[in-house]
Amino acid sequence: MRVPLRWLAEWIPLPGEAELLARLTQGGLEVEEVLRVGPDLSGVRVGHVLAREKHPNADRLSLCRVDLGDGEPAEIVCGAPNVAAGQRVAVVSPGATLPDGRKLEKAKIRGVTSHGMICSAAELGLEEDAAGILVLDASAPVGAPLDTVLSVGDRVVAVALTPNRGDCSSMLGIAREVRAHFGGALRIPPTDALEIAAAPAPGIRVEISDPTGCPHYVARVVRGVRVGPSPAWLQQRLEAAGMRPIDVVVDVTNLVMLEFGQPLHAFDVGTLRGGVVRVRSAAPGEKLATLDGETRTLDPEDLVIADAERAIAIAGVMGGAETQVTARTRDVLLESAHFDPTRVRRTARRLGLQSEASYRFERQIDPAGVPRAADRAARLLAELADGSVAPGAAEATGAAVTAVPPIELDPGRANRLLGTALSREDVVALLARVDVVVEDAGASPLRCRIPSWRNDLRLREDLIEEIARIHGFDAIPATLPRQPLAPVVVARSRAVADAARDALAAAGLLECMTLPFARPADLDRLGLAADDARRQLVRLQNPLTDEEGALQSTLVPSLLGVVHRNRAHQVDRVRVFEVGRTFHPSADGQLPSERLALAAAITRGGERLWDPATTPVFFEGKGAAEQVLEALGVAARFSPGGDESFWHPGSSARIDVEGRTVGGVGELHPDVAARFEIDAPCALLTLDLDALAAAAPAGHRFAEPSRQPRVRRDLAVLLPREEAAGRVLDAIRSTAGPHLVDAAVFDRYEGPGVPEGRVSVAFRLVFQRPDRTLTDAEVTRASDRVVAMLADRFRGELRHGGGVASGR
Amino acid sequence: MSPEQPSLDGLEEEAQRALAEAETPAAVADLRARFLGKKSALSAVLRGIGRLEPDERARIGERANVVKERIESLVAARREELGRGERERALSETRLDVTLPGLHAPRGGLHPVTRIERDVIAFFTGLGFGVEEGPEVETQWHNFEALNMPADHPARDMQATFFVDGGHVLRTHTSPVQIRTMRGRTPPFRFIAPGRVYRCDRSPRHSPMFHQVECFMVDENVSFADLKGILYAFQRHMMGADVELRFRSSYFPFTEPSAELDYRCLICRGAGCPTCSQSGWIEAGGCGMIHPVVLEHCGIDPERWQGFAFGMTLDRAAMLRWGIPNIHLLFDGDVRVLEQL
Repeated sequence: MRVPLRWLAEWIPLPGEAELLARLTQGGLEVEEVLRVGPDLSGVRVGHVLAREKHPNADRLSLCRVDLGDGEPAEIVCGAPNVAAGQRVAVVSPGATLPDGRKLEKAKIRGVTSHGMICSAAELGLEEDAAGILVLDASAPVGAPLDTVLSVGDRVVAVALTPNRGDCSSMLGIAREVRAHFGGALRIPPTDALEIAAAPAPGIRVEISDPTGCPHYVARVVRGVRVGPSPAWLQQRLEAAGMRPIDVVVDVTNLVMLEFGQPLHAFDVGTLRGGVVRVRSAAPGEKLATLDGETRTLDPEDLVIADAERAIAIAGVMGGAETQVTARTRDVLLESAHFDPTRVRRTARRLGLQSEASYRFERQIDPAGVPRAADRAARLLAELADGSVAPGAAEATGAAVTAVPPIELDPGRANRLLGTALSREDVVALLARVDVVVEDAGASPLRCRIPSWRNDLRLREDLIEEIARIHGFDAIPATLPRQPLAPVVVARSRAVADAARDALAAAGLLECMTLPFARPADLDRLGLAADDARRQLVRLQNPLTDEEGALQSTLVPSLLGVVHRNRAHQVDRVRVFEVGRTFHPSADGQLPSERLALAAAITRGGERLWDPATTPVFFEGKGAAEQVLEALGVAARFSPGGDESFWHPGSSARIDVEGRTVGGVGELHPDVAARFEIDAPCALLTLDLDALAAAAPAGHRFAEPSRQPRVRRDLAVLLPREEAAGRVLDAIRSTAGPHLVDAAVFDRYEGPGVPEGRVSVAFRLVFQRPDRTLTDAEVTRASDRVVAMLADRFRGELRHGGGVASGR
Repeated sequence: MSPEQPSLDGLEEEAQRALAEAETPAAVADLRARFLGKKSALSAVLRGIGRLEPDERARIGERANVVKERIESLVAARREELGRGERERALSETRLDVTLPGLHAPRGGLHPVTRIERDVIAFFTGLGFGVEEGPEVETQWHNFEALNMPADHPARDMQATFFVDGGHVLRTHTSPVQIRTMRGRTPPFRFIAPGRVYRCDRSPRHSPMFHQVECFMVDENVSFADLKGILYAFQRHMMGADVELRFRSSYFPFTEPSAELDYRCLICRGAGCPTCSQSGWIEAGGCGMIHPVVLEHCGIDPERWQGFAFGMTLDRAAMLRWGIPNIHLLFDGDVRVLEQL
């Protein structure tokens, strides 16, 4: 809603602008911006021409001495023939700004310095062209800014209205709001219809055949209207409020809508058939050519205005082209009606025709204001377009609008909800400021009568809000709840996600977030099988773009997109992860299932100083996975061959926890890397966080470090090349006996010195007893058992004739 | 004094002279053998002591031991002296180019929205608020109807909604978690619900996905004044002790009374700048007392129970904290952006 302040001031006395804007905003009418319409005359001042002489060097110029109310009069050269001593004129001084934005400089004109400029109406932007300077009223105070003297230009406040405050979409509504905050009396413009008793009666009958769609319909007929442009003041008002002037009839209907919030429509009486205006539901498939030149196909949901033969308007939304007012129109039918908000809203949405009128109807107009708006518009057509208002309005009512019954309010209840200590008198007085009348201030509870225009006030709590709003939220104290605290338990899924995030951040990965939208082509690029469950996508019905037509069923494509974009930005090593939900359709209208997933990607590239010899990037991915799993306290098993199409089959592993696959890690399959345009070795990790949250945490139990010495034995073993070291390690752990406290692979070698088809793997075994020092014999027995087992089960043989090193 | 006893006189001086000329640790070792070894004169003296008269034995023995100790300390001093030289030579020969780069662990980090979310959770769990979650695809009933936004309600225009298969929606706010949490439970309770929300809108200032946190509390007497107290404490926690707040009346279908919480712009301190759209204030979130219809939808008697709800956008808090000018930078996965935060 755009509120021109000069216009508003005609309705209610206004406080200073800053105070007005602050209170409107805090009271719930948020001021979005303040605009200026018309010329800015703040840089122009009223001058008094003390003397006028001829310019010494030019016949047609004069030299004026002008008093600007600030000491020494200014010498100003003027070219206008009509300037004369004694006049009050509009003066721009050097350094000040002209209405068109130009800054005025001191200028020498024919050898004489001019200390300013006396302006014409054209130069001030007041008229298109003007002969001579603008002469002001003799009472204009000398030195005053011109915008305080002339009623031109205005400051327009753009107010954002919340959906409950349709009543504020008019000057009347805003004026009431100003009154609620600052007091003062409303000044409502005259609304007497100025009927001409001798003129013919309307001769139109109103019928409502859809009573719930239209509770009230008033038609006024104005005869002999001269249709032409409306007067300048009316056009300026509409423009200031953001509407385009059309002709006097349309402009009057719009003006009255802006004044009172009641949308009006004007029909050309000469085009109406059968002397009847009927409000009814549209027939299925009924057609209507609307004002915008379109032909609309209607639906029984739509409410129409019809004459005896056809629809002539879509109620509350748009008029028909055939019955609109034109330059040839003589008699005008003014419609002022109350239409059902929901019906108007549905039709306006369906047809994509949201307008100033539908906006107001959707929020419900003041049912009591319907006749007044018709009268006011009829009066204005009489005044501005030479119309004769036919005596009496044609009128019909549909289903009665149920008046809001009085609301019962206990002031104690308001205090309990707000935390205030308002007295009964305070409450009554605050409510009175928004025209809520308390029937008996002594009764308990208070019975509060709601004004007809406040359809948003239905409940006790609505009244409490009015009390808070007018009292001011800032005036409510700030306290802390005194209720007892209960212990907080954070869900395991959140704890798991947080621990995983922390572990990956500590491992040097950056967390990113991407939009969870997807499209089937992403799954093709991943190479998912045709029957892969992730091909079942939850589809959006109104996506922003085709590429965002569904919700993601896997995080991988968007994360690979991140890798690709970063590589395109010449980031050598991309180390990123994301935690997010994936979406999977459910049967029969159930909500989709949502799973919490994690994906991480690590690329190589741009070798640098200090880089260690190249380890396959797979192991960076696996290391990240291990750090996450350790942080979660779950024991996981990595098995060769991650069974996903997007992994390199020979450089990937499945991750199992308690016999259940929870994810995998692998190097990106070269075909997938090519399809996502990733040009660097890239490891990709996926984890199902819901599955991990469900796995019982192994739990970290404290174990006191032993005081006994550790004994280390290193075994370099020649193994068949295809043997998995992890399997051998498992066998070592189960063979080495109770005093083995740690076992690890610390080297792997193949090449000169190692037979073809074999690989040398070095294991480090650490032994320790909690109670005493181990003897050499005990350690040797254990390690001999291991060596024998390796020979037996893995065809393993120790390198370098024994190759056992030991140390303490 | 027996004639076969070698003289100890001058032995110390001789050792001192010889050691001064020894230039290597090996030469020092040789000298030590010469003066103190088994074949040395000193050893011979000590070996012969047993054969001396008792009073001679004591005198010669004492003197021999003194000489031995002195020569030992001369040897040690010379060895130390030479060793120091060796170490100094070794130290002077090793020169790293310390201007070469350090060896870094790769830089990792949490997303700014995650960090803000944790900050929020830490504050509210400290005040006894539980942490709840709900689905991101919601039923229209949970997202709208239960929150007092029936079909055809103009308030639905306030939230551009994504519709998905099956007549469901991507939740437009975290408020449906209120419904899921309260239904089937008996007050009192206090919870927060952080999470992703969606609006069908992409513009320079809006992302179709962003993050909210919902905070709500229901009890017999919890009031708007309590809401104010909590929010003052919360905003001070998030933005510092000198944050200036303003409550302004607003409208949400699910709260009554409703208010918007603004804070004084941190950039311009209220003078007006692009960040606050010249208003001097920035919206921190919406709040109010839970609408009785919402409580009824959750099976809670609004005559007995009342409560407050508050919702804020996490992304905007992150943008302000780190000076990120554009919300889309948060969701692009651009390492060059994330590394700085």
